[in-house]
Amino acid sequence: MIKKYLGSRWSPFVATFSVILFFYLKDALATTSVVATSITFGLPLAMAAMVGIMCERTGIVNIGIEGTLLVSSFIGFFVASVSGNLLVGLFAAVCMGAVSGLLLALLSVTWKMDQIIAGTIINILATGLTSFFYKQGHTLPSTFPEIDIPGLSAIPFFGPVLFMHGPLTFLGFFLILVLWVALYFTPWGLRSRSVGEHPGSADTAGVSVVRMRYLNVTIAGAFGGLTGAYLTLELVGSWDRGFSAGRGFTALALMIFGRWNPLGALAAALFFGVAQAITNQLMITEVVTIPQQFTNMLPYVLTILILAISAGKVRAPAAEGQPYEKESA
Amino acid sequence: MKYVRSWLLPVIALAIAFAIGALMMKLQGANPLKAYESLFSSAFGSSAGISKTLGKATPLIISGLAVTICLRAGLFNIGVQGQLLAGALASAWAGYAIHGLPLFIHLPIALFFGTFFGALTGIIAGALKAYRGVHEVITTIMLNSLVLQLGEYLAYGPFKEPGQQLARTPEVLSSAKIPDLFGMPVGFFIAITLAVIAWWIFKKTTSGFRLETVGRNKNAAWYAGISVKRSILISMFIGGGLAGLGGAIETLGVVGRYEPAFNAGLGFDGITIALLGRANPLAVIPGAILFGGMRGAGGSMQFAAGVSPDIIDLILALVLFFVTAPLIGKWIKTVRGNEAITTGGWGN
Amino acid sequence: MKKKIIASVAAIAIASLGFSVAPASAADESSCGTAAGFCVGLVTDVGKVDDKSFNQSAWQGAKTAAAALNGFSKYIETQDPKDYASNIDLFASKKYNVIVTVGFLMADATAIAAAKYPDIKFIGVDQYNASPATNYTGLGFPEDKAGFIVGYLGGYLTKSGKTAAIAGGPSSIPPVRKFIEGFRNGVAYAAKEQKKKYPKSSTVYYTGANAFNDPAWGASTAAQYLTQGYDVIFAAGGKTGNGALARIAKKKGAFCIGVDTDQWATVPEAQPCLVTSSMKNIPQGVQVLIKQVKSGTFAGGNFLGSVGAAPYHALAKKVPAKVKAKVKALTAKVLAGTVATGVK
Repeated sequence: MIKKYLGSRWSPFVATFSVILFFYLKDALATTSVVATSITFGLPLAMAAMVGIMCERTGIVNIGIEGTLLVSSFIGFFVASVSGNLLVGLFAAVCMGAVSGLLLALLSVTWKMDQIIAGTIINILATGLTSFFYKQGHTLPSTFPEIDIPGLSAIPFFGPVLFMHGPLTFLGFFLILVLWVALYFTPWGLRSRSVGEHPGSADTAGVSVVRMRYLNVTIAGAFGGLTGAYLTLELVGSWDRGFSAGRGFTALALMIFGRWNPLGALAAALFFGVAQAITNQLMITEVVTIPQQFTNMLPYVLTILILAISAGKVRAPAAEGQPYEKESA
Repeated sequence: MKYVRSWLLPVIALAIAFAIGALMMKLQGANPLKAYESLFSSAFGSSAGISKTLGKATPLIISGLAVTICLRAGLFNIGVQGQLLAGALASAWAGYAIHGLPLFIHLPIALFFGTFFGALTGIIAGALKAYRGVHEVITTIMLNSLVLQLGEYLAYGPFKEPGQQLARTPEVLSSAKIPDLFGMPVGFFIAITLAVIAWWIFKKTTSGFRLETVGRNKNAAWYAGISVKRSILISMFIGGGLAGLGGAIETLGVVGRYEPAFNAGLGFDGITIALLGRANPLAVIPGAILFGGMRGAGGSMQFAAGVSPDIIDLILALVLFFVTAPLIGKWIKTVRGNEAITTGGWGN
Repeated sequence: MKKKIIASVAAIAIASLGFSVAPASAADESSCGTAAGFCVGLVTDVGKVDDKSFNQSAWQGAKTAAAALNGFSKYIETQDPKDYASNIDLFASKKYNVIVTVGFLMADATAIAAAKYPDIKFIGVDQYNASPATNYTGLGFPEDKAGFIVGYLGGYLTKSGKTAAIAGGPSSIPPVRKFIEGFRNGVAYAAKEQKKKYPKSSTVYYTGANAFNDPAWGASTAAQYLTQGYDVIFAAGGKTGNGALARIAKKKGAFCIGVDTDQWATVPEAQPCLVTSSMKNIPQGVQVLIKQVKSGTFAGGNFLGSVGAAPYHALAKKVPAKVKAKVKALTAKVLAGTVATGVK
């Protein structure tokens, strides 16, 4: 009986909820803040993980997420500051992301290059270009403001956690849900996944593998551009060399942690966000005085432990990493 | 003709990459000719320059090999950076904390410590993959951060140099330092030897063949009676050990202690170099020399021509692009066929 | 076939290089080391001269001093800590008169270079010269005093009593620790003066691969503090700190405090909240020392640079006149040493 409940798919949620409730009763303000901040920390990771998921579900490994974030946030920031218009900057960042996706598609689909090499090229190219052309002295006209949804944002706990964010945060969450629905419940999703699993059969069934891969990798790039725009135009409001600070690589790990499922990756990213917020909170309240490095290790150790215990072979899309060769009749 | 083509490709790739780099410099109003002249003369124009280039190339060759060996066995080891840090930390400890040994005993012990802890870091990921099916890309990324934090803690805590405010260990004793041989870094020759051994293993031995079979097709390997688990463990152990040795050589030969900032980026360059060499152990050597030379000469280039060293990243990315993209290959009609795929994703 | 290829490659190379007769920098360094010439070289810590932080400040000082003395100045941006020595050697090989090295990590390399090149003067920003060398001066700053002064101001400005510091790097980095602890003690001092019981000022340190270089982390951490009602936040640490400043600026009623230089100019995004910056006057310190070299009074050892709080700028109207007077009085006492910061 007990085992049945422990093994239920809802048990992680029940556990999470009870932990939050326990701490909320102890310190409502800090708990609310930790959960709200974990979204701030986790969302960019989740969005970046979506880039990987969209690519890999159609069979393209994308290790260049970091480069996409870097170059699109760079373009977004500078276009917004030069044009004086945030929306123009947002548009430019999304376009830049799409271009980086297109480049990945060109290298890996048309030219059939090794996909990890293709992604690495995007990463270093982005680092070199943005560092080389960065110029000091530009500022944004403003940033995307926080939107407090009337009524809902006044609810204790849930208000600050769910209903007091910038527009790109809401958009990001919405698009993650859309992606999940699209991937599992629409013809496009079915086609995408079939291209990632059995490109041969998909082709026979009349799905153009090349077109599908181009489309998805480009959309994924645009999503990466949106992530970059979120980081610079909403979260921070400035840009500096190395701005993405490794989030693209963490996102790769979260994508696998979430088993190539948008909701799984979102959960994994929020888990990372919570861990980061808790690490901070331990320092803020100074209740425990263990060296900071150990609290910093927490998310990494927990991730490894969780994966080691839950085991179960995580399987990537079968056709991943392999260029598609049409079988000549 | 075939030979000509095989070296022609990288040469043309380099030329185009440098040409584009020159254009970028022009855009910034700098003098590319002067920049390149200083870049080459300082990297290769004097014995001191060559020594520096080879010194810079040493850890890159080894970390490139660490990635290469895992790639051959079908594993993508993003964790070279962490394994290298573990090796650097362990060898630094062995180098300063063990007293009273002569060079020919102390140095090998310190190198062994580095190799062992690197291998340990590697095999954690290997074991999780082999026995629990946890993907090596996650574990190695996690382990990178873990080792970094651990190193930060130890260098500021138990291993800290007495009286020092910074996070760093004491200097290793002279009995654990790698001596220079006629002004050339000894580590470089170790690295070359390792590359040759790795090449030989994959070319000539059955163990190499086994690893490679697992890398190419797990099912086929299984049918052939090759233990996939064992291959994963072995390749991560060797890959980690190599990375650890690279960290140890860097610590005992160049830095002289563990100081967190001094090993940044080596592991990630190793990935790029392994890919540039298409997972061929011998091809890692020229790639690492190119990277080492350019990275080492960045200061001179800025000094002589006022060009920001960031341009070097740009040029290296272009080199990787033109060497691996089928553009030039098609143009000079080199058929590379199946060779084009090095990694095959991280599907299985 | 082969000829065609080689010709094309050559053509590309020539095309790109052919039009590259760009003028070199206006002044030249051929006069370095002669009686007439006066050359100042600067080696940055890993980072760039436009980092809005200590590299930029040091370069600004070096450039200004060289220009004032009719000299020549140039910099090298270090990419890898292992290149500290070779970058210094480049300047030494051209007989530069003064070499400025930036950052505590370069202290060892600078001391070694000073012994190697006795004719060249070395200025080490954020370094302590423990050697007897007379051609090497460590330029240090009492960061704890700078932190204490702004902490004192913060202790008067806070309404919630909750003050915090976001450190872009680990506490193992001496200037970071001194700034933060000074700030903390300054807040406590102000609280005691007002007979108020504030919770101990809180700090989050960043430890990781991107210390000083993760603006998004700084911004998120700032958000965490803001949602808990912290209303005076000291952001100390490179780009990470700058990210925090920019985020705090979006919150009405919160004050932020910058670090190192007057960040009113370097981080304009922060202007809505930036009440002051905890400054160490690196440009001035570097200039004074370079002028000492020129006038022959450079003596080695260690030089203590000046610190202080930056002007209030537009936020002056939010600081009560009484508080301004108190901060002014305390600044004088702290700088004179009559009020101890309590930071070791």
